[in-house]
Amino acid sequence: MTSKIINMAERRKDAEDRTLEALFRSEPIVDDGFTVKVVSRVRRRIWVRRLSLPIAIVVGALIGLKPLVQVATLLPDLLRLVPADLFKLDTLPVGDLPQVSTLLIGAAIVMAITMVGRMLEE
Amino acid sequence: MAQQDSAAFGELVRRHQSQVRGFLRKLTRDLALADDLAQDAFLHAWDKLHTYSGKGTFIGWLLKVAYTTFLQSKRRSNRYGEILDEIGQVDNSQVVEDSHEVSDLDRFLAVLTDEERAIMILSYACGLSHREIGDAANLPVGTVKSIIFRGKEKIRNSFDIEDHQYG
Repeated sequence: MTSKIINMAERRKDAEDRTLEALFRSEPIVDDGFTVKVVSRVRRRIWVRRLSLPIAIVVGALIGLKPLVQVATLLPDLLRLVPADLFKLDTLPVGDLPQVSTLLIGAAIVMAITMVGRMLEE
Repeated sequence: MAQQDSAAFGELVRRHQSQVRGFLRKLTRDLALADDLAQDAFLHAWDKLHTYSGKGTFIGWLLKVAYTTFLQSKRRSNRYGEILDEIGQVDNSQVVEDSHEVSDLDRFLAVLTDEERAIMILSYACGLSHREIGDAANLPVGTVKSIIFRGKEKIRNSFDIEDHQYG
C-alpha cells in the first residue's frame, strides 16, 4: 500500500516535472552576430591590457622627466651642503636601525597582505 | 597567441550563447537587457576562465557566471528590480516570439521570488542537475531541492499546470 502511494507520488512528480520542462522549453536562440560582438569586445580588451602598461610608463616618464632633470641638476650643489663626516661609520646611529626581528615581522606582514589580496582577487 | 585564444573563446561563445541568453531572457524578460548581460557575462567568463577547474560541466560554470553577472547588475541598478517587479505586465512588443509561452511563463514566474525563479529556470529550462544549480547559486543541494519543491508548490497552488499552453 505504502509503496503504491510512493509510486503514485513519483509518477505525479515526473509528470509535473515533464510539464514544467515543456513550459520552460524554448527554441534555440539564433546567433545574430552575438558571438562576433563578444569576440570583438574580448579582442579590444586584450589590446587595451597590452597597451595600458607601456602607455602608463610613457605618460609617467613624460610627467616625471622635468622634475627629475631639475633634481639631477641640483644634486651636486645639494651634496656640497652635506657635512663631510656625516657618513662616517662611528657616527651612524646603529641602535636606531631596524633589527632582524623587525625586518622579519615586516616581511611576514607584506607576504600576508599579498596573499590576502590575491585571495580576494580570486 | 591572443588571436588564437580569442578565436577559441569565440567557438565557446558560439556553442553556448543560446543557453546563456535564454537563461537571462527568462530571468529578466527583456531581450535587450538580457543580451547586454549575456555579453558582460561572457567577458567575465573570459577574465575568469583560468578559475574553471574542469570540475562540473562548462555550461554549468558559464551559467553561474551569468547568474552572478545578473545579481551584480541588479544590485547596481534599481532598473532591474523594477523590470522584475513588472514581470506580470510584460511589454509584448519587446519580448519573445511565442506569445503563448510569454503569457504562461510570465504568469508562472510572477508568483516566484527572484531566487526561486532563477533556480526553477536553471532546473527546467537549462537542465542543470541539483548539484550544478547549487554550485551556480552558491547554495547547498538540500536548499536547492527545497526551493524547487517550494516553487512547484507555489505554481501548483496558483495554477492548474496540467492545463497550461505549452511553450
